[in-house]
Amino acid sequence: MSVAKILEIALRTGRVTRRYPYEPPLLTPEFRGAVKIDPSKCWGCGACVKVCPPNALTLKPAGKEATLEYFVGRCVFCGMCAEVCPAKAIEVTKEFELSATSLEDLKSRVIHRLARCSICGAPIWTEAELRTVVKSSPIAEEYYLVCPKCRKERFAKAAMLRLGAGSE
Amino acid sequence: MKSDSSLSTIVKALEEVGAFVEEVRDSEVYFRVTRENVRAAARALYSLGAYLKTCAGVDERELSGLFAVYYIFGLDDHGVDAVLRVLVPQDDPWTVSVVPDVPAADWCELEVRDLLGIDFRGRLTKRLVLPEDWPEGVYPLRKEFKYDEKPPRVLREELSEEVGIPVGPYHPALHEPEYFELYVEGERVVDVAYRGFHVHRGIEKLAESQRFTYKQVPFLAERICGICGFVHSSCYVMAVEKAAGIVVPERAEFIRSIVLEVERLHSHLLWLGVAAHLLGYDAGFMHAWRIREQVMVLAEYLTGSRKTYGINLIGGVRKDINTEKIDKVLKTITDLRKEFTELVKAMLAVPQIKSRASGTGVLTKAEARALSVVGPVARASGLYRDVRKDYPYLAYKRVSFKVPLYTEGDNLARLLVRVDEVFESIEIIKQLIDMLPGGSVVVEEYDIPSGRRAVAAIEAPRGEDVHFIITGVGRPYRWRVRAPTYQNIPALRAMLRGTPLADAPLTIASIDPCFSCTDRVTVLDVRSGRKSFIRLKQGV
Repeated sequence: MSVAKILEIALRTGRVTRRYPYEPPLLTPEFRGAVKIDPSKCWGCGACVKVCPPNALTLKPAGKEATLEYFVGRCVFCGMCAEVCPAKAIEVTKEFELSATSLEDLKSRVIHRLARCSICGAPIWTEAELRTVVKSSPIAEEYYLVCPKCRKERFAKAAMLRLGAGSE
Repeated sequence: MKSDSSLSTIVKALEEVGAFVEEVRDSEVYFRVTRENVRAAARALYSLGAYLKTCAGVDERELSGLFAVYYIFGLDDHGVDAVLRVLVPQDDPWTVSVVPDVPAADWCELEVRDLLGIDFRGRLTKRLVLPEDWPEGVYPLRKEFKYDEKPPRVLREELSEEVGIPVGPYHPALHEPEYFELYVEGERVVDVAYRGFHVHRGIEKLAESQRFTYKQVPFLAERICGICGFVHSSCYVMAVEKAAGIVVPERAEFIRSIVLEVERLHSHLLWLGVAAHLLGYDAGFMHAWRIREQVMVLAEYLTGSRKTYGINLIGGVRKDINTEKIDKVLKTITDLRKEFTELVKAMLAVPQIKSRASGTGVLTKAEARALSVVGPVARASGLYRDVRKDYPYLAYKRVSFKVPLYTEGDNLARLLVRVDEVFESIEIIKQLIDMLPGGSVVVEEYDIPSGRRAVAAIEAPRGEDVHFIITGVGRPYRWRVRAPTYQNIPALRAMLRGTPLADAPLTIASIDPCFSCTDRVTVLDVRSGRKSFIRLKQGV
């Protein structure tokens, strides 16, 4: 009997469906789920934001702060952010049970204080990034606390003086 | 390229019709041809045995002040891509259609017309890709059109008064939208009208916008298709690597090939299950998918994700394979082979499967040739076409395998081609694992010059997937994707004509049209004019 063949296979195999959620889900060690950002390690450099294909990570300055936001609703779980993070602040977890009752629950934020240019007052970079840079290669305050625009102007002025042009 | 003489034959034939060689790169020859001569050039290529891969419209006004239409032909016997470039002035945008000689160009020409506003003479034209409420004279692929622009909707008055049941083409819960109108006489299908492109996402436009960079596009490409996503991301990175002359480490090529074959396994098993389901053989469906599950787990173990693997980078792959993974691969494919052999035997022993599938939905070899169909559909109609053999890419030049070929052209032949391919894929994976070379899996340092062109093709589970790229600064200047189903859907018309209505679902499914696409059909009885909507899955 031809129909009996499949019955034979079925009886031999038994039930394969897992009793999830009462049983743990089948996840391999390589599984990539949502990412987690460690606020104590993050500098707010924005490398992850640049590499993120779906714009799930955004870094927005507002007033005295810059907010790094991770919106899991947009995330494609590629883990590229964790790969490029220079601070190793991003970890790829095995979390995949992500449903939430409000949109806010799908977002997580790291808030950074912004350092300001000592000349014009414009925000330059985050304080955390500043600390990291200074720690790894100490440079004088008069350099790191000046924004690129002001630095350029200052250099131009100095160069003019050298060339013999008088100051105003 | 297999020999220089084949190249000179092609060049000679085309020079006779007024085309001249623009550029020769690797296995690609670019010809320039005037719009008046394009039809003759296309005819010359077709008579040399070329297939049309696709055509692409490009807004080259920033480069040359002109529009361009690229017709990409593949000469399978020679392993050469011949590309015809037709320049179209912007103030008088028309060109001569090649459709009378090359029916396969039907859709892609309409797409160029919709998206770029180039008119094609000598053929019937209609709107294909753009939605009905899109305004006239707005062409999204022109560079001045911003990727996130939303032109005002135009409501058309002339829509027919006859109202169908407004449930199609979107299924409320499942599956992708596509829409078939079957014209029937009694129980026989006499004609088929197809409407698709309901989910045209503008991915090509998005990739050339400021929003994306070269490195991010692989992840976008992967989302073109839910089943053969890795094919698309591989094809994109191959096109970029080819254009920029990036040499990918051998080990990365092997890993890509292994993952591509794993993807083919899961796709064919999925299809086999769906086919069984459509024939009312749900036990077969369940068991095909049970077997498939171990392939999905393997894919996750190799790449980090069950689908949308996300391991392709320009220059290589992100995940290496270690000895534990190799053991897991070998164990999985050994088990798979055993279980699959048993299941196929059990399935084909069911008399209804064979009797429903054989002799239905026949596509003759001549029709298959004219429409340039690809993949298992072509191979079931007696066309020996397989990108892995014709244009060996990645590690496929190193492995030996058979290309299953059937001549019946019916649903059973298409089923058997896929069954055979599962066994071939298992063998390919075994050989690749055996020969896996050492070394790194990615090159980090590379440079992508702008203005380069390249065509890349991969044999997806459904057939040949083609990506054409023109490089730009920081991102592609133009990226054209032609998925295999694009080439195969027009063949459905030939397959469905004269088929009993009851066999229509299986026939539509037999091209594996990213299957989920085809949920709803309208049945229109030409004698009574009665219209009714039927869910495809009910088996009609």
